[in-house]
Amino acid sequence: MSKAFVIAETENGARELCAGARKLADEVVLVSVGAPVSGAADKSFHIDVPAGNIADDAYVTVNKIYDAEGGDVVLGEQTLRALSLVGRLAAKLGAAAITGVSAVEGGVATSMYFGGTGVREAKAAGDVAVYTFGPGVFDASEATGTDAVEEAAFEAPENAVAKTGSEALPPSDVNLAGADAIVACGRGFGAEEDLQLARDLAAKLGAELACSRPLAEGVDWFPREAYVGVSGAVVSPKVYVAVGISGQMQHMVGCNGADVIVAVNKDKNAPVFKACDYGFVGDLKTVLPALTAAL
Amino acid sequence: MNILVACKIVPDDQDVKVAGDGSLDFSRAHKVVSTYDLNAIEAAAQIAAANDGSTVKAISVGPKKADDSKTKKNILARGVDELFLAADDALDGLDAFATAAELAKLAAKAGDWDVIITGDGSADLYAKQTGVQLAAKLGVPFVSGVVSAEAADGKLVAKRLLESEEETVEVPLPAVVSVAPEFAEPRIAGMKDILAAGKKPMNVEGAEGAPAKAVEEVSVKAPAEVDRKKEMFDDVDAFAAAVKAAL
Repeated sequence: MSKAFVIAETENGARELCAGARKLADEVVLVSVGAPVSGAADKSFHIDVPAGNIADDAYVTVNKIYDAEGGDVVLGEQTLRALSLVGRLAAKLGAAAITGVSAVEGGVATSMYFGGTGVREAKAAGDVAVYTFGPGVFDASEATGTDAVEEAAFEAPENAVAKTGSEALPPSDVNLAGADAIVACGRGFGAEEDLQLARDLAAKLGAELACSRPLAEGVDWFPREAYVGVSGAVVSPKVYVAVGISGQMQHMVGCNGADVIVAVNKDKNAPVFKACDYGFVGDLKTVLPALTAAL
Repeated sequence: MNILVACKIVPDDQDVKVAGDGSLDFSRAHKVVSTYDLNAIEAAAQIAAANDGSTVKAISVGPKKADDSKTKKNILARGVDELFLAADDALDGLDAFATAAELAKLAAKAGDWDVIITGDGSADLYAKQTGVQLAAKLGVPFVSGVVSAEAADGKLVAKRLLESEEETVEVPLPAVVSVAPEFAEPRIAGMKDILAAGKKPMNVEGAEGAPAKAVEEVSVKAPAEVDRKKEMFDDVDAFAAAVKAAL
């Protein structure tokens, strides 16, 4: 009997990873440092992290649960806190996590290399394989398991980090993972008010709004969750409309899973036109309203 | 404060060529400091500048080609006082477990330290695992995603930018801290800084042996081209009809 050991922070992450773990092992053990998660694993543990501690320091407890339960494969959620827990467990096992995994086939994991310049296949050299996955690799709705959740006491490490405050980031209503259509905005938008043109198009298409990296990190026009690309969201809608996006590799790896890619750009030589299904050369200020009206 | 900053020297992905069999050829690529590690170096320099009497030493592990005069000067021109580099082909392409073990050896050679700063993730694998593995190896606290930090009485008061919250933490020292790119924009090193960098101590050594691999690379290839129609429109109505049909 092979066993998978899942480390998750969010409930959706836990369900996705547990669904994926079923494909890799006979038995699934889940440890969650966020909310308790039922109905996703054969054995589900929850660690209630005290308000004055950081979830990253739950590694003492996580490693103890691993010692008791074991696991041939470890699946970690790709959030900063879960990555800390995965790293601590990997270090203890003499392993190294293969991160950002998009597929595992016969013990060989596929992930990106140099931001999508390459695709890398790698496998664990030791007895235990450790992988982490971003959102959307597995289907959360496929997770099944016990309703019982066992509480595991948080044990602070020596020299624990103290959490003295926390401020929720503005809530995000971005849901790119489940979107059928996405309108993504790039640097071609010269002014923030022009984004309304993209919003109008998105409303007509029933699409979610997204962006390339500069609009989420250079200027703050979008929340970070809306950024599609190598270190952001990787999406696979039916239709992806890239507006004012040049089409750098680092962005396109985030949307290559789309069934159809549509591009609007004023530069006819933009690389995005070599990577799209339907392209239109023109100023987005005239093309977008016309397209919205014609739909 | 005695600060160490870990950085990775990687091939410049602008110079990568795709070979006929779809494999990637890095042989002609120049060596550069991994992008986000430049932010980490800047963060180290800024924390040092805010605390009188601080030192900043860089530690790095890589292949023989990492021992590159221009790259070493580039590191030392950014507010770094001394460099400890292990450059040996036995240290090429190490996974996070092995890298952490080698960095820990360099940290021991670099003398007393209060904090080791790492970048967000390396340009090649972007695994975000070396910092936490190093902390585990050294048995010290670790936090990631740090966007600001101030030294205060044996601790670092830091803000972390996580996926859905900003967390304020007090990290007891010594510790390993991974900084987000937002912590600090890398400086542009001037000619004077680069000239001065050439006179700073550079400790370069080989490997004591080839570390065991925790991860084996099977292949690295150029991504498969997705077959797209590449149909261009100049009539908005026809364009709209095509978009509509795809929904």
